[in-house]
Amino acid sequence: MPERRPGRRVVITGLGAVSSVGIGVADFTAAIRAGASGISPIRSFDTTGFPYVRGGEVHDFEPRDILRAIRPEQWGRSGLLAAAASRLAVEDAALDPGLLSRSRAGSVMGTTSGESAVLQDLSEQWVGDGLKSIDPGLVTQLPAGRIAAAVNSELGLTGDALTIPTACSASNYALGHAFDLVRSGEADLMLAGGADAVNRLTHAGFYQLGAMAEEVPRPFDTHREGILAGEGGAALLLEPLDHALARGARIYAEVLGSWANCDAHHMVHPDSASIAQCIRDAHAAAGVTPDQIDYVCAHGTGTPTNDATEVQAVREVFGDRLPPVSSIKSMIGHTMGAASGFGAVICCKAIEEGFLPPTANVVEVDPALGPGLDPVPGTAREARVDIVQNHGFAFGGNNVITILGRVS
Amino acid sequence: MTTLAPEAGTAAGTARPDTLPATVRPDLPAVRPLVVTGHGVVSAAGYGLAPLGDLLAGGGPGHTGPQGPDAADYPPIAVRSVPGFRLADHLGRKGTRNLDRLTGLGLVACKEALLGLADAGAAVSEEESGRTGVVMATNTGSVQSLSDLARDTLVQDAPYMVNPGRFPNTVMNCLAGQMAIRYGLRGLNATVAGGRLSGLFAFRHARIALDQGRAERLLVGGTEELSAPAAWAWHRTGALSERGAIGEGSALFMVEDAERAAARGHTPLAELLACEVGFYGAGAGRHSLASGLAACVERALVRSGVTAAHIGTVALGATHHVGLERIEERAVRAVLGAVPGAVRIADALGETYSAAGAFQVAAVLAGWRRDPAAAGTVPRVALVTSVGQDGNAGALVLRDVPRG
Repeated sequence: MPERRPGRRVVITGLGAVSSVGIGVADFTAAIRAGASGISPIRSFDTTGFPYVRGGEVHDFEPRDILRAIRPEQWGRSGLLAAAASRLAVEDAALDPGLLSRSRAGSVMGTTSGESAVLQDLSEQWVGDGLKSIDPGLVTQLPAGRIAAAVNSELGLTGDALTIPTACSASNYALGHAFDLVRSGEADLMLAGGADAVNRLTHAGFYQLGAMAEEVPRPFDTHREGILAGEGGAALLLEPLDHALARGARIYAEVLGSWANCDAHHMVHPDSASIAQCIRDAHAAAGVTPDQIDYVCAHGTGTPTNDATEVQAVREVFGDRLPPVSSIKSMIGHTMGAASGFGAVICCKAIEEGFLPPTANVVEVDPALGPGLDPVPGTAREARVDIVQNHGFAFGGNNVITILGRVS
Repeated sequence: MTTLAPEAGTAAGTARPDTLPATVRPDLPAVRPLVVTGHGVVSAAGYGLAPLGDLLAGGGPGHTGPQGPDAADYPPIAVRSVPGFRLADHLGRKGTRNLDRLTGLGLVACKEALLGLADAGAAVSEEESGRTGVVMATNTGSVQSLSDLARDTLVQDAPYMVNPGRFPNTVMNCLAGQMAIRYGLRGLNATVAGGRLSGLFAFRHARIALDQGRAERLLVGGTEELSAPAAWAWHRTGALSERGAIGEGSALFMVEDAERAAARGHTPLAELLACEVGFYGAGAGRHSLASGLAACVERALVRSGVTAAHIGTVALGATHHVGLERIEERAVRAVLGAVPGAVRIADALGETYSAAGAFQVAAVLAGWRRDPAAAGTVPRVALVTSVGQDGNAGALVLRDVPRG
């Protein structure tokens, strides 16, 4: 069994969100609390010929409004989303940017599809005039590692610039690794999070897998059909507790622990026993017990398979006393590599402001998911929240659970 | 704690190019040695460390010429490919039909590593499989799969007509997931991307994960595949000089804590010591990138408990990269005063990008195996360096384990 490891206590003091329901953590949180929808007709590519044409795009993202150092034309959309979210997180933390860049600081950013919008442009050039015509400037923007590089470049960070392309649990994995870097003393300040962009290939692929909904995502609902692909950037600033206290920082939450495992079973079908083991190991790593968990921020994609598997795994650990389990993907769509980053952001705000984030679009909680499931339908509910559990699962069978708690 | 320590080397980097950093943070602790207990290598030299060692010693190129169905579509660029690679020859047809070349190369390296471990009496037991995982370096995943399917959305009768059986290949953690599925590795399953530094990031990530108790054994390395789209990407950017070639392959190493391995009787092949990285991009300039890399080398030596005088081999990564090649060698000279025992893998294997760091480690091990140290001698030490146009820089220290 994992155990709580010695090391520095690590807290989250800054939050950044560039989402389809709001830019900046205040707007994002207000929209999530209200059960707002960020789903709309896709504009970033021509949807002619696609049976389903909706997604969770961030229509009003203007990189120049947020970014101060990097030039938007030199970076792909995913990197820009990550850098903007990170810049917003540093502002939210009221941390001197000069101190940050002089510190041993870096970033760990998750992604599913990397610079997918750049790939899309390159593939159009290939089809248009052949491989000989591809734009070398775009080629240099393609590597996934550019996402964390964008964050470090924007903030002037000289520490690790690591991108974690472990698909749809990648932000949670990034958060866990950034936590390890700070608690072990390898770094003092870290940005963790993730980014992805809506794109043609992801849209086509999820449609072909039969995992996409036509109109809206309805996690935990009897009539749920699947995901809608979303996009965005999410970032959290991690720092040692002592440092946060010394500078009088607002502390959202402490990272109590995290765990990652692999189903080693199937590329796209989740496994409830493996997820349940990941939850147990995350609890052990964080030094908490199931009865202490006030809220589960679910992976909650809204596919029939995911939600059934996820609820079954939670039952295996929690028995008949399930904490509230909700999915913010019901509002912003499945933001892929950013998804569990947005989950971690809303978990921090849930602890700070005292609410349970809702699941939108729930008309009837699926009775097949069993008794006692509370997805917090509709809008947020006021509640004291001290310890939360944030889920991320992915293609490849990658499960990552993070546990965040109030610092009292 | 009221102030945070300054990042070592930053001030020196902007003001005094090519000088050592003024300070190396004094409280960065020495690292616990990790050991390599097994390896799987598939390269333009062939299968395993021995042909790679022979190729590097001979100084010639590995297998040249494009492979595969799009071989005729390559631009005029030198190529070092894995000769005659067909996945079904190694793993059979079952479950391999939809897999791409990148996944195939990695799965074969994984199989070689696990077979070698079994032969050495260090197989992954059922009990260990839940705490045995993967740390794989990549940059873009399979460029072939991604570009093929992205193209399909544009040229098929309907834009959604991508092959759902191939779609999972387009996620960048596909190989790591397939390794776990095929070989029952249920521990953490990480894929890491950091441009040319991806390979060193894999070793650094493995070190931190093992130190933090997140796994007991990790298969660590990198994999790249060649394809016409990837070749055109290299050709169009002009990142390589005219002597440069592009390459492919997979190099994987089973890594665990040295004390743990000793307690279980797992024979160490080499020790992995410190792996230090930094980011010196965003207009920081070439002087800053060179002194940033020098700072990483310096930190890696200090945390490994070795000095410049111990380094007998330097495995370089940026050979034939316009600009980067000089930066890398300048940084090494700034710290070591020379480039002792230089190994330039790119001559033999071509530019292997995110797999380069893993192949540099393979080259060091292959060289040591060709010329085993006598028992009782002072262990040889090697330095692996890496630097990328994006501003990433890093260094890893390896130490030989003389046979008893």
